[in-house]
Amino acid sequence: MDKNKKRDIVDNVEKLKIALERVKEAQRIFATYTQEQVDKIFLAAASAANKKRISLAKMAVEETGMGVVEDKVIKNHYASEYIYNAYKDVKTCGVIEEDKAYGIKRIVEPVGVVAAVIPTTNPTSTAIFKTLIALKTRNGIVISPHPRAKKCTIEASRIVLEAAVAAGAPEGIIDWIDIPSLEMTNHLMKSSDIILATGGPGMVKSAYSSGKPAIGVGAGNTPAIIDDSADVILAVNSIIHSKTFDNGMICASEQSVIVLDKVYKEVKDEFKKRGCYFLNKSELDKVRKTIIINGALNAKIVGQTAFRIAELSGFKVPENTKILIGEVESVELSEEFAHEKLSPVLAMYKAKDFSEALSKAEHLIADGGYGHTASAYLNPLTAKDKYDEFAARMKTCRILLNTPSSHGGIGDLYNFKLAPSLTLGCGSWGGNSVSENVGVKHLLNIKTVAERRENMLWFRAPEKVYIKKGCLPVALDEIKTVLGKKKVFIVTDQFLYANGYTKPVTDKLDEIGVKHTTFYGVAPDPTLASAKEGAKLMSSFEPDCIIAIGGGSAMDAAKIMWVLYEHPEADFMDMAMRFVDIRKRVYTFPKMGEKAYFIAIPTSAGTGSEVTPFAVITDETTGVKYPLADYELMPHMAIVDADLMMNAPKGLTAASGIDVVTHAVEAYASVMATDYTDSLALGSLKNVFEYLPRAYDNGPKDPVAREKMANAATMAGMAFANAFLGVCHSMAHKLGAFHDIPHGVANALLINEVIRFNSEEAPPKMGTFSQYDHPHALSRYAEIARYLGLKGKNDDELVKNLVKYIEELKEKVEIKKTIRDYGVDEKVFLDSLEEMVEQAFDDQCTGANPRYPLMSEIRQMYLNAYYGTNQKV
Amino acid sequence: MKLDKSKIIAVRTNKTVYKDGNLAIKVFDEGFSKANILNEALNHARVEETNLHIPKLIEVGMIDGKWAIVTEFIEGKTMAEMMEQEPDKYDEYLERFVNLQIEMHAQECPLLNKLKDKMHRKISETELDATTRYELHTRLDALPVHKKVCHGDFNPTNIIMNNEGIPYILDWSHATQGNASADVARTYLLFCLAGDTVNGDKYLNLFCKKTDTAKQYVQKWLPIVAASQSVKGKPEEKEFLLRWADVVDYE
Repeated sequence: MDKNKKRDIVDNVEKLKIALERVKEAQRIFATYTQEQVDKIFLAAASAANKKRISLAKMAVEETGMGVVEDKVIKNHYASEYIYNAYKDVKTCGVIEEDKAYGIKRIVEPVGVVAAVIPTTNPTSTAIFKTLIALKTRNGIVISPHPRAKKCTIEASRIVLEAAVAAGAPEGIIDWIDIPSLEMTNHLMKSSDIILATGGPGMVKSAYSSGKPAIGVGAGNTPAIIDDSADVILAVNSIIHSKTFDNGMICASEQSVIVLDKVYKEVKDEFKKRGCYFLNKSELDKVRKTIIINGALNAKIVGQTAFRIAELSGFKVPENTKILIGEVESVELSEEFAHEKLSPVLAMYKAKDFSEALSKAEHLIADGGYGHTASAYLNPLTAKDKYDEFAARMKTCRILLNTPSSHGGIGDLYNFKLAPSLTLGCGSWGGNSVSENVGVKHLLNIKTVAERRENMLWFRAPEKVYIKKGCLPVALDEIKTVLGKKKVFIVTDQFLYANGYTKPVTDKLDEIGVKHTTFYGVAPDPTLASAKEGAKLMSSFEPDCIIAIGGGSAMDAAKIMWVLYEHPEADFMDMAMRFVDIRKRVYTFPKMGEKAYFIAIPTSAGTGSEVTPFAVITDETTGVKYPLADYELMPHMAIVDADLMMNAPKGLTAASGIDVVTHAVEAYASVMATDYTDSLALGSLKNVFEYLPRAYDNGPKDPVAREKMANAATMAGMAFANAFLGVCHSMAHKLGAFHDIPHGVANALLINEVIRFNSEEAPPKMGTFSQYDHPHALSRYAEIARYLGLKGKNDDELVKNLVKYIEELKEKVEIKKTIRDYGVDEKVFLDSLEEMVEQAFDDQCTGANPRYPLMSEIRQMYLNAYYGTNQKV
Repeated sequence: MKLDKSKIIAVRTNKTVYKDGNLAIKVFDEGFSKANILNEALNHARVEETNLHIPKLIEVGMIDGKWAIVTEFIEGKTMAEMMEQEPDKYDEYLERFVNLQIEMHAQECPLLNKLKDKMHRKISETELDATTRYELHTRLDALPVHKKVCHGDFNPTNIIMNNEGIPYILDWSHATQGNASADVARTYLLFCLAGDTVNGDKYLNLFCKKTDTAKQYVQKWLPIVAASQSVKGKPEEKEFLLRWADVVDYE
């Protein structure tokens, strides 16, 4: 305390600078304190302030000449006890929150030095409040008292300081301006780390202009509505209790009461009965002229008694008069009673209905209380609509029901979840940065420490995948025996239908006595029109099971019909919306399977659609392709029976077989690849390299090769159903769409370009995915090469050999070398190039690619694939 | 320069104005602050560079050991005289008065002193208690800063209509650049001090209507101009001015 005694009084900016340095130094030490030390100081400071509540209240009234000692005692008591109680167990030091699983924690640190501006209306309680929350948060604080209340404000601060220091706080952690001036206040605000400004709009404006973060609060002009559903006795007495509290100086105090016509007389009588005085016309004018001078509040009436204000206005009222009530009509600022009065003077309005009362309240709030407080008295049970409308319409940050607003606004007295505070935020409406009751959290910097975590991945597949050459009838048996389905809708294309591919299915269904019908109108690149046609038939047939039999087109078309059948309202534009993460997509895909069970039976070894959640449909009227992706589209059952593939033509065998290679390679290199998809991809690739040439050459004569290829296609399908694909497919989609090249061939033409592209170890941009930690596609491709038994002295060589190996496979199945070889005219190709590039870049498949492609790079890959050049991308 | 042939046309506290041919000579009493005299002349010269009609500044010098500012003499009547002589045309003149003030506020004169600085200085010079001064400083600090030409003593006696009916604005000793509402508040205060509240209100309403300004916006300046006025104000005005100045910002 000795040091403190030596403290020079702060009466100019130079001395303030020295004081600020002192507080900063003390705060640097305070910032190292533990929670335990801080809590001890907080307790000691709160107790000391609490003990001095009466002497401080007396000092405040004596010095300012405003307010009521007994009420100021309550405020001091409140500021020490309630604030202590609210924050005693709150963690304000170190780690306050930690979640190890998510790898996130929050650490709090003090802000530094708080500049605290203290008003004349609550000169001791606000000082206690602000110094206590500063201590609890390990901040230093410098108080700028109001000149009218400097002695008592400083005394309150001194009491808190001395108790805090005695309990171990650094010397000089709290300081103040002894002889306040605007210059010093402004300097203080500019030099602090944060400002807690309580005061009028002028002070709050200065705070916000200082360039430092400010928690400023402003004026209130609280209206109180008394509805005809209100408990009038409770309402009137609450308002009197609140309005007379400290002679009306709490900023949340009621300034006007708006009474519904029906209860007006009752309310008025109750006010009279309880000692309020209704002004007659001439008294009303006298009070008007006294309380407001040129639109501003007369300093002489603030915090005075009703008796004194009447006296100042030039007439007499009984000495124990509680409130002077003026019955007025206008809510415009030209009406003096519409202003904030900071005294026991109340405006009373009559409203014909609740809506008019709300309009008046809105206007009064706009006059001078934006963002502060509004209050209503009504029965929330019988007048719930009014309650809701009141809450909706008031632009205030505190909306109080059946509560005296002075006591209600500061929290924890009439509602125990509203934080206790003597600094009430008014939100953006009041030009504030805070809209709630100010507390310790506003004086803390919260550091969020976030560790890298990897995304959860998944493996999803149809609930049943039946595999074996000749398994079809056995699997279909379940339709009756296990699933108990009654009506099956078969979707296929004309060729397969005409060539009897559906016959084994229909025969089986006939055998087990299940009704069925067949739609065979699916064309390659299925259109929305044909899907709609099929869905229409579905709707009239009402199947409980759908069987898609065919290649990718038939299965995709069937999936779309399934969607249209179950959710005719679904919008394709929405369903096709691109996403970054399928789990975070904006659109929620409709729930599927409520009407029909979906069985997919592939007749070619390629697409994998029987086990994927994807489907592509073309709107034939606009040419727009809708690629849909959602696990809702996953078939329930896939039947992989090579019997249906034995007679596939050579071209189809080659194109779809190469498609499998690209599925597996892209799924393996994908940023979302997992051990599960990797195994499937590698297994699939091994099958393809060994058996595709045999299946191609021998066709129906090589059932083993056919079956191996069938499995390879479905396995690759499972891999990319979960790991997704990459930029090869992005480009192939557009190449197919723009130049009518079969999907598998398009992929085949691009896959080696993409492997070379992705193998770059220092790409301009890598893919964004938490577990993709560095560009490592090269080593991934090398793993494929090794698995396939290729040789090479390093990864580079292995990948070169993989590319060569794929080229050889393509040659074996007679796939041409370049896009140009497929008869795409050079000019036509170049003319479409820019558009293809942009669309490929934006394709859904691009997101999983390990290298994030630039559009110029996509362009170069297209050009390389067109000309067969090998220019480095 | 000599004042032999000149005739006195006005006598004010600390200064006398003479007419000499087509010159007006304002002679300051000995002891009048030299800095203030030169400031007035400088203000005048600066405002002359705007589009406003004001008498040309001819010379600043000493006459018989006294400082004097010599300007062009404008032949005509003051607006105050016209208002008094033709009461039925009062409203018309008042409107011209307001229009002229608005025209003046449309001017910029970047080198003039800043109104806010001046007001802060005046508030510090008042005899008001520390609390009231603090309130006023705080209030002033929060008011918007503009850079319009403000006369500082804009009233009908300071406007002369020449024989062609062109109004000339005189006496730029209080000129500053700042918020027009402060200038208007000051004019309104002058009306009220003269006991003419009715025309004061009329004036204020007219200004607010023409410029689409909220009355409260002008009123915010009233405690400040009242405090400023109290510095040199007459003793009999003091109580009135202090009442206007002793208001609080809402808390």
